[in-house]
Amino acid sequence: MVVETIMTVEVAQASAMGMKAIGAGMAVGLTGLATSFAQYSIGTAAVGAVSENKDIFGLVLILTVLPETIVIFGLVVALLMLF
Amino acid sequence: MLIVASKNQLNSVVRELYHHNVFHIEDFTGEEGDGYEGFTIGAPLSGAADLSTKILRIRSLENTYGINPEKTDENGQQACTSLEARIDSELSSIEANVEAQNAEQNGIEVKIREYEQRLIELEPFITFPVNLSLLHGYENFSVLAGHIPKDVELPVDAETFFDTGVPGNLLVAIIAKSSLDEATTFLSEQGLRLIPIPDMDCIASERIAWFTQEITRLTAEKEQIDERIKAQREEHEAFLVACDELLTAEVEQMEAPLRFATTEKTFVAEGWIPSESVDKITSGLQTATGGKVYVEELEFDPVNDTVPIEYDNPNFSKPSEILMDTYSRPGYSELDPTIFLSIIFPIFFGFILGDVAYGLVLLAVSYGLRKVVKGEAGKKLLVVLRNLSISSIIFGLLFSEFLGFPLPWAPIGINRHLNIGTNSSGHAPDVVLLLVLSAWIGILHITLGRLIHIRNASVRFRNHKSHRNKVILGQTGWIFVMWGLLLIIWSIAAIPLMPDLTALPQIVSGFNVAGILGTVMLLTGVAGIAQDNILELTELPTVLSHVLSYTRLAAVGLSSVAIAMVTNYIAIGLIIEPALNDLSLIGIVVIVFGIVVFLLGHTLNTVLGLVGGGLHSIRLHYVEFFTKFYLGGGKKYNPFGMIRRFTEE
Repeated sequence: MVVETIMTVEVAQASAMGMKAIGAGMAVGLTGLATSFAQYSIGTAAVGAVSENKDIFGLVLILTVLPETIVIFGLVVALLMLF
Repeated sequence: MLIVASKNQLNSVVRELYHHNVFHIEDFTGEEGDGYEGFTIGAPLSGAADLSTKILRIRSLENTYGINPEKTDENGQQACTSLEARIDSELSSIEANVEAQNAEQNGIEVKIREYEQRLIELEPFITFPVNLSLLHGYENFSVLAGHIPKDVELPVDAETFFDTGVPGNLLVAIIAKSSLDEATTFLSEQGLRLIPIPDMDCIASERIAWFTQEITRLTAEKEQIDERIKAQREEHEAFLVACDELLTAEVEQMEAPLRFATTEKTFVAEGWIPSESVDKITSGLQTATGGKVYVEELEFDPVNDTVPIEYDNPNFSKPSEILMDTYSRPGYSELDPTIFLSIIFPIFFGFILGDVAYGLVLLAVSYGLRKVVKGEAGKKLLVVLRNLSISSIIFGLLFSEFLGFPLPWAPIGINRHLNIGTNSSGHAPDVVLLLVLSAWIGILHITLGRLIHIRNASVRFRNHKSHRNKVILGQTGWIFVMWGLLLIIWSIAAIPLMPDLTALPQIVSGFNVAGILGTVMLLTGVAGIAQDNILELTELPTVLSHVLSYTRLAAVGLSSVAIAMVTNYIAIGLIIEPALNDLSLIGIVVIVFGIVVFLLGHTLNTVLGLVGGGLHSIRLHYVEFFTKFYLGGGKKYNPFGMIRRFTEE
């Protein structure tokens, strides 16, 4: 059974909005995965290093947050898409 | 500076240097050549070992009392000479006191444990009415006692006592020795778990009461001793930390010769002092040794020698030095970027967080934690936090945001309010404007970094003209590449907030005048970079990626606003408002739940904003700004001496 929809301007616009939303979601979601993989190993090493030498904490904190760039770019793409 | 004298003068030279606290000793390691053949490392001055033992005793006392000199406040300073006299007399008496109390405490603890153990043994017999000594010492009878699920009838003659009053039920059976085996087998089948019968001459319940009483009494005694120790701690704290400081200073001075180069009768000390202290030190040394010392100011190579570095910043920048130290101390001939950091870092943070309420909360936290946080580093960070929160409040007033709610005036310049909840039909946020503004900040920040590199190169290489020119051309090349690329982009597309150069007359294949100029700049820039170091060309894409990295200022800021507005929408729009129409008990519970959601969401957002906003802002400095010009690697200036907190000479 096939349901036929009449393609009007409103329907096209709504489905375009929906596609944009899916695109924005995927942009943030997938880049989030990438960042999490990167920060996972760095974070593990960082905690190991700090447990041996407390002074180094500030430096390893910065290093751990370095891959945040990837998800920020994903967020920027999502924002540009939605607005 | 070079100091040479005979070993007779060692003591006075060391004391004079320690007193001035500006001489950073260059340790003599005894390995390198260049002029120091035949020299050895010196031996500590006499009396060092004795003082070291005294310090150990004081430190162990501090440990017992839980005193930490770094965390102690200063209440006036004590004179050194009177302190020295007191050390010998009072130290031993304090130690004897502490030992006696420790012994007392240990004794009490052992007793308490013993009584508790006996209590455990006695507990099951609490309802047994007969004296426990009657269960021992029979020739023809054995006694079995234990826990059993239910009362049983023994197959042999026995006198039994069964009670359900204790957990597990108590069964005591006195059986003739001849039928012991049969009884044991029978009882274990019935599930008897044997327990030892305490060897005491008493009725269980009475003795249990006595033990419990004793334990309470002993615990009270122990607490009394703890109180006494605390009172003594107050009494001796000032004395102990003052002695600690005095003796540490003495030991440091005694061990200074270990860092000097010595021969049989002379010693040589090399070290760094600030240029303004040269005369003071020279005259001080001359008076202290009666002129029997040779002091000379040596030449050094600012590029290759590791000169110790101390910051010299205006007062408002001083707290940011801790952020610089986290990365690396500046080198000797570099521009110190602390000033830029202290101004721009709060601006970035305010741009990201931009909310009056969060700023006020962080300001309150930065003042509130002043009592809790001790130590130099912590206090500096709190001052930095105060600056960040003030910047956040200012930007919050500009962006018209208070806890996610719009303030009574429209945002000035840029609108960050998203279309969520009560603002669904309002003005959409100026996303593109925010992104372009962040890109502009990036372009300007990076250009500033490259200009600082040019300045650093011209100072470092002022003697190697050719190398200096190469580096300057290389950096100018980078600037040209970035601005050339920008000109090309402006000539092709009209971007808001950026100059629109698309309307100029076209010359070649779609490129207009600005485009041609841009291309020329780009190619010149590439040539400039290549003549400095051809491998740097692989870094060309960073022109784009580093500038775009600054768009995180807009993105993280918008996400912070989004979380705030969504929390408001959920807590107020979805939970509280519908419940306000129905004020029954369920309604009140729902309203309370809504308030909890509201508080949780905003607390989370504050923490995220502080950590995320702070980290991203500082990361922009460390990675995008510093990599353009910063070498770092400076050695911390650690002068020989001590800032006395508890004693005075």
